[in-house]
Amino acid sequence: MTSVTIDRENPSVLAAAREIRLDRVLFVTGAWALALIWLLPLAYAIWTAFHPPAYETRFELFAPLTLDNFVRAWNAAPFARYFLNTILLVTMVLTAQLVLCTLAAFAFARLEFPGKNVLFALVLLQLMVMPDILLVRNYATMSALGLVDTILAIGLPYFASGFAIFLLRQTFKTVPKELDEAARVEGCSLLGLLWRVYVPLAKPTMLAFGLVSVSHHWNNFLWPLIITSSVETRPLTVGLSIFATTDSGIEWSIINAATLITSGPLLIGFLLFQRQFVQSFMRAGIK
Amino acid sequence: MTRFLKSSILGAATLALSMSSALAVDLEFYFPVAVGGEAAATIQALTDAYVAENPDVNINAIYTGSYADTTTRAITAARGGNAPHLAILLSVDMFTMIDEDIVEAWDDYLSEDEIENWIGGFYPAFMKNSQTEGKTWGIPFQRSTPVIYWNKEAFEAAGLDPETPPTTWDEMVEMGQQLTIRDDAGNVTQWGVRIPSSGFPSWLFTGLVAANGQDGLANDAGTEVYFDTPEVVEALEYLVSLSTEHEIMAPGILDWGATPRAFMDGESAIAWTTTGNLTNIRNNAPFEFGVGMLPAKVRPGAPSGGGNFYLFSGHSEEEVLAAIDFVKWATAPEQAAEWSIATGYVAPREDTWETDAMREYAQEVPGALVARDQLEYAVAELATFEGPRVTQILNDNIAAAVVGDKSPAEALADAQREADAILAPYRQ
Repeated sequence: MTSVTIDRENPSVLAAAREIRLDRVLFVTGAWALALIWLLPLAYAIWTAFHPPAYETRFELFAPLTLDNFVRAWNAAPFARYFLNTILLVTMVLTAQLVLCTLAAFAFARLEFPGKNVLFALVLLQLMVMPDILLVRNYATMSALGLVDTILAIGLPYFASGFAIFLLRQTFKTVPKELDEAARVEGCSLLGLLWRVYVPLAKPTMLAFGLVSVSHHWNNFLWPLIITSSVETRPLTVGLSIFATTDSGIEWSIINAATLITSGPLLIGFLLFQRQFVQSFMRAGIK
Repeated sequence: MTRFLKSSILGAATLALSMSSALAVDLEFYFPVAVGGEAAATIQALTDAYVAENPDVNINAIYTGSYADTTTRAITAARGGNAPHLAILLSVDMFTMIDEDIVEAWDDYLSEDEIENWIGGFYPAFMKNSQTEGKTWGIPFQRSTPVIYWNKEAFEAAGLDPETPPTTWDEMVEMGQQLTIRDDAGNVTQWGVRIPSSGFPSWLFTGLVAANGQDGLANDAGTEVYFDTPEVVEALEYLVSLSTEHEIMAPGILDWGATPRAFMDGESAIAWTTTGNLTNIRNNAPFEFGVGMLPAKVRPGAPSGGGNFYLFSGHSEEEVLAAIDFVKWATAPEQAAEWSIATGYVAPREDTWETDAMREYAQEVPGALVARDQLEYAVAELATFEGPRVTQILNDNIAAAVVGDKSPAEALADAQREADAILAPYRQ
C-alpha cells in the first residue's frame, strides 16, 4: 500500500511505469498482429474446407457446413497408405540422423584425429549445396544401389545431415570439460561418456533439430516424386500434388481440405507439445 | 517312350519359358495430371484395359506430378540411365527434349503408311508443336486451346443479346464497357473482361498475336522469336489498353488459377481461359454461360497447348515398338473419346469426333465443339530451344507492360533482345 502512494508522488517512477506499459502494449499488439497474419491462410483453409465451393471467396457467417470436400479429397488419392509411408519415412530419417550425427558431432567436438578440420569444413560445405542440384547425381547413385522406388532411397541422401552435425558439435562443445573428465576418472568408456554425459545435455538441441527435420521431410516433394513410382512408397506430398490442376481451374475447397488432412497431424502434434518445443528452441538457440 | 515323353515335356517347358520371356515386355510410362477429377484414374483404367487386351505387355503408368515435375523427373531418370519408354510432356518441351538428346523421332519406327494415315490423321494445328525439321517428336494426347466464357445473365442484364459473344477486338471493348458495372462510389462491382496475366500469360497473349495476323511467336526450328514486330506490339497495346484506356478489365496482374472462380462469382462477365476449365465451370457456375472463340482482329486466331506423348531413347526395338503400339491404341477413336470426355481435353483427331460417344457429348456440351472449330485458326504455342527461359523472358516483359513499368514497345524490344542472346548459339 505504501509503495503505491510513494509511486504516485514520485513523477519519475510514474513516467517509467507508463513507459513500461506503453512498451507492453506495443509488444502485445505486435505479437497479435504477427499471429493473425500467420493464422490468416490457415483460417482461410479451414473456412473453404468446411464449406461448399460456392463460398470459396464469399464470407457468410451461416453458410452451410459440409464435410464433402474432405470425402472427395480423401478419395482422390490413397491417403491412408501415403500417411503410413510418410510416417515411416520421417521416423527412419530422424532415427538415422540422430544416431549418425551424434557420433560424428562427438568426434568433431572432443576427439583428436588427423584431418579433423578439413573434414569438418567438408561437412559445413554440405550446408551450402542446394539439394536440388544433386537430383541427377543422387538418382544415379540410388539406381546403382538398386534402390529406386523404395522409402529408403527417399531418406538415404539426408541421413548424414551437415546441419545436425554442426548443431550437435556446437552443443557438445559447451559441455563443461569437468563433467567429461569426472566421468573418465570414474572409468566411463568413450561411448558410455557420450551416452551418459553428452546426449542428456544435448536433448533440447536434439528435440529442436528433430522438429526441423520432421517438418522438412514431411513437406519434401520433388525428390520423393522423382525417386518413387508406386503407391507403396510415395509420401503424402505427392498425393497432395494431384490437386494442383492448372489446366482445369483450381478447386480451392478440395485443395484446402486435402492440405488440412495432410498437415493436420503435424499441426496437432505441435499444439500439444508447443511448450516443450518453444523451450527447446530457446535453449538450442535456433530461431 | 518315357524318355521321349520326358524330353518332349522338357522341350515344351523350355519353349514355353523362352516364349514367355521373349514376349513379355515391360513398359514404363510417366504422366502428369493438370486437370481435376479422375484424370489419373482414367489413365490407369486405359492402361489396364490395354494390358488386358495384350497380355504380353505390361505397362507401369506412373503419375509424376505437374508438367514441370514430370519433365524434371524424365530428364533425371534418362540421365540416370533409367529412362521411361513413354512420357506425356508439354508439346513446347520438344526442343528441350531434342537438346537433351533423350527422345526419339517417331517416324524412324513407322512405315510410310502409318506416317500418312496415323500421324497424318491428327489436326495440323496440334502437329505444329509436335514436328520440326520434317520429323515427328510428339503425338498429341492431352491438348487444349484457349476460349472465352461469357456470362449470359450478365449479358442480358446489360441489355446485350445473351447468345452473341464478342467476335472482334472492338466488339469486346464495346460490350465490355456495357458489362462493366460501377456502384455509386465508383467502385467496380463487375468487370467486363478478364484475361489472366499470371501463370502462363504468353499462351493467351499468343491468341491476341494470332488474331492480329502473326503466326505465333517463333519459327518452326525453334531458333528465332518474333517478339517486337508491329503485330505483337499492337497486341500488347490492346491488352494493356483494356485496363488503362477502356477500363473494362481490373488493373494489375490477374491470377490464372483464380480466373474460373472470378468468372463463376460474377467478378468478370467474360473470361479468357483454357477449354480444360469447361467441366469445372459447367459443374459450378450458378448461371447460364456460353463458350466462344477468341475475338478476331484481322482474323480469328488462338494457340494450341497441352501435352504430347514422347518416345524415349535407350530401349530395345521390341520395347519401342510395343510402346508405339500402346500410343496408337490410346489415340484410337474409342479411347481418345473416352479420355476427352473424362477430362475436357480436345480430341486431337477428326475420327474421334465421329464416334457415337463423342457425338453425344458434343450434343450435350456444345462448348466442346468451339474448341475443335477454333483449331482451323490455331497457331503454334511459343516453343524454342531453352524454352522455359525464353518464355519466362516474354512473360516477365508482358507483366512489366501490364503493370505499367514499361511501354508495350519497350517491353517487347527488351524481350526480343534478351531472347536473341539466349538463342544465338542455336542458330549456327
